[in-house]
Amino acid sequence: MKHSILSEGDEEPMDPVRKDEFDSEACGSIAPKAKPCPRPKPGEAAGGCSFDGAQITLLPIMDAAHLVHGPIACAGNSWESRGTLSSGPCLSQYGFATDLTDSDIIFGGEKKLKESIDYIAERFAPPAIFVYSTCVTALIGEDMDAVCKTAAERIGIPVIPVNSPGFVGSKNLGNRLAGDALLQYVIGTGEPEPLTPLGVNLIGEYNIAGEMWDIEKLMNSAGITVTSRITGDARYKEITWAHRAKVNMVVCSRALLGLAKEMESRYGIPYFEGSFYGAKETTYSLRQMAFLMNDREMERRVDRLTEREEARLSQDLRPYRKLLKGKRAVLYTGGVKSWSVISALKELGVQVVGVGTNKSTEDDVRRIADRVGDDTEYIPEGGASRIIKTVRERKADIMIAGGRNMYVAMKEQIPFIDINQERHKAYAGYEGLLRLAKELTYSLANPIWKLAASPAPWDKEAHPYDR
Amino acid sequence: MTVNRRKKPASVNPMKIGQSLGAVLALQGCYRAMPLIHGSQGCSAFPKALLTRHFREPIAVQTSALQEMDVIFDANRNLEEALNLVLSKHRPDIIGIIGTELTDVAGVDYQNMLKTYKRERNMRGGLAFSVVLPDFRGSLESGFSSTVEAMIDEMIQQVGHRGSRSVNTRQITLLPGSFLTPADVMELKEIISSFGFEVIALPDISTSLSGHLLTGFSPLTRGGVPLDSMLQSLQSGLTIAIGGSMERPARRLHNALGTPYKVFEGAMGLKASDELLHFLHQISGEPVPLRYCWQRENLLDSMLDAHFQFAGMSALTALEPDHLYSVSGWLEELGVEQKALITSYETPLVAGMEREVWVGDLDDAEVLGKGADLWISNSHGIAGAQRIGAAFMPAGFPVWNELGAYMSVSVGYRGAMEWSNKAGNLLMQREAGHRESSVRHR
Repeated sequence: MKHSILSEGDEEPMDPVRKDEFDSEACGSIAPKAKPCPRPKPGEAAGGCSFDGAQITLLPIMDAAHLVHGPIACAGNSWESRGTLSSGPCLSQYGFATDLTDSDIIFGGEKKLKESIDYIAERFAPPAIFVYSTCVTALIGEDMDAVCKTAAERIGIPVIPVNSPGFVGSKNLGNRLAGDALLQYVIGTGEPEPLTPLGVNLIGEYNIAGEMWDIEKLMNSAGITVTSRITGDARYKEITWAHRAKVNMVVCSRALLGLAKEMESRYGIPYFEGSFYGAKETTYSLRQMAFLMNDREMERRVDRLTEREEARLSQDLRPYRKLLKGKRAVLYTGGVKSWSVISALKELGVQVVGVGTNKSTEDDVRRIADRVGDDTEYIPEGGASRIIKTVRERKADIMIAGGRNMYVAMKEQIPFIDINQERHKAYAGYEGLLRLAKELTYSLANPIWKLAASPAPWDKEAHPYDR
Repeated sequence: MTVNRRKKPASVNPMKIGQSLGAVLALQGCYRAMPLIHGSQGCSAFPKALLTRHFREPIAVQTSALQEMDVIFDANRNLEEALNLVLSKHRPDIIGIIGTELTDVAGVDYQNMLKTYKRERNMRGGLAFSVVLPDFRGSLESGFSSTVEAMIDEMIQQVGHRGSRSVNTRQITLLPGSFLTPADVMELKEIISSFGFEVIALPDISTSLSGHLLTGFSPLTRGGVPLDSMLQSLQSGLTIAIGGSMERPARRLHNALGTPYKVFEGAMGLKASDELLHFLHQISGEPVPLRYCWQRENLLDSMLDAHFQFAGMSALTALEPDHLYSVSGWLEELGVEQKALITSYETPLVAGMEREVWVGDLDDAEVLGKGADLWISNSHGIAGAQRIGAAFMPAGFPVWNELGAYMSVSVGYRGAMEWSNKAGNLLMQREAGHRESSVRHR
């Protein structure tokens, strides 16, 4: 069944992901067989550590307390830096740390950890406490698991150790280790209220800039309920009953694929991997949900909804598509977003002339290849200078990347859109695509590019013969 | 007075920033420099992200990217690899190797390794030094001053002992503390040079983090004090240090080269500015430039205008030690009641203050400062200020909820005037907000 054509070509949305494809390279609790995460290159490493990754995954559990066991900087330098939003409780936005000093490190910090857990439990009465190890506490061999276990028994709420110190690897690995913690300590420990309608778990959607809310609204209008949000704007309790869901959707985070896979083998929940960037991907994801729910009526509702939404979007996008048509972009972002955002951009008529494959898996790269032309440059590594080189050589009009590279682009006077976890704009779903179109237009059309590029009047006078 | 600490096991809403971030900040003020953090990836990614967010500039920093096995077997292999790559790819003039808690706890001896490395590679012409800054000690301020000290040590090693020193009495080395913004450093340079002195700021973030459109992006620092000026600073006739934490680097210059120094503990408010200008007037014999006389009048007039606003108001201040001292002095002049003073760690300067100072976090600020009208801290304090209903004034590091925070001036008469107006405006808006909410809609 054909819908209004939004994009230039009319290639299929992302190819359906069959579960057996991943058997050979499952990640998460099962060690990846294909290839381990590459060792970061000293002197050229970029990006966060595993501790960062674990926090990105778990901090969106809004009503829980998140305690960092280590010296102050791991918490002090990182709290309130992520763009995940809450619709209610905000205890997870508190920065808790055991703040170890030299003597704690010499004599051991377990006593302080125990006291900190008791203090937080008593003063803030959270439904659960997540405790994160850091390089130093892992190095000196603190037995965090044991402290958490006895604490949980003593205070009567779950105290969950997250063993993801920074030096075990990349941010991605940290996401996985956090997923492991959820599997081991949280999922399956609770039951939903008897009358709760069951539906889909959204895995790896962190409610950056409120994207989760747009997605949930869409799902609800098609009659699909969200069972557990893992973990965007989540409450601890809802994750405990995630095992009762009928379908798992892995949203844009391969790192938590292991979680979905394990839930399939443990609880028999089918999963699929999808994205909400771009109208086509959104439509596909909603349909896939309804299909796996095995509900004909729901499928019909999804069809009606997506048809209506796409038609409306196509109307709304018209003025922007006119302006964006033929514009060239360089996209530099991690993992799954590298391909899912390509689809969104294509629907707007923006051509991706360079794309980062730094954190992408082989599957991601294959999907990128499916979506871009032959003359698109792949940027495997090399950081900021390499991205800029591509922008210049490919005559790109705009750079789309994470906050870390934002001011790099500003120094080179390249229009820029922030696409990573620190951003403040939601780009998911149909509404999100319209927002992306607007942001791209505002950015490209801003008068600053002309103003900044022209010299001061006296500089114009000074070297009339130089050129 | 004594420094107090509230009894509680965990830190809640920390205001303390790791020492290594202070080191990265100091190195941003040197031209073509590369700070290299010897630790795991996060040890550099977090400071980089935070500094980028505050200054809205790209930040130069690299890491030895230690992983578990590297720490256990040979962490220095990573450092060597990182050095090789950074040197061959970017050719920095200055490399600062920053040891973290990870290398400290693991007992990695990289100072020796660096010595051998420099000898074997025959490294000349550049400045490479190391400094140990575990995050379980000190804070941003101590990381910053220790790095400047290590930098000065290395400079003295390289050229200081070479024969006699020709002293240039018209040249002053300025050691600006970590709490000063790029615009503050610029203002201080202008004030000092207006008395006819050459000024070399060490480090000089006023030309690197103030926002400029210099020749595009570079992985190294752009702007800042170049290496030859740094070395030339050893010939200065005088050192001026701003902030108590900068006394140690100043003393280092004095001990090695005999350069006299003067420490200005605070730099904010009428009295502190008077002291600085009077001192400069005395040592130069030049009259105080007319514009500063005007600015002094302007400040006094604006304080007069604002004193109705500040009457009966109370403030809580949570800042790094030197900054806290400065801001407290300024609040004193405004006649604002100081409800609570909270800082990140104890230094002799805050221990010697006449008021009660607490070492703690922003949660302590919320408890101790309950009922305050004005809340002065970094941007992490926004939520706490909201909870106790105080007007929030961002200051210190990091500030992300305000554009151009890095260009705001706090030093000199102009700085005091800007701050007074800003604080007064915030209080006025808060009052207006209260009035509005008391109107009943039918």
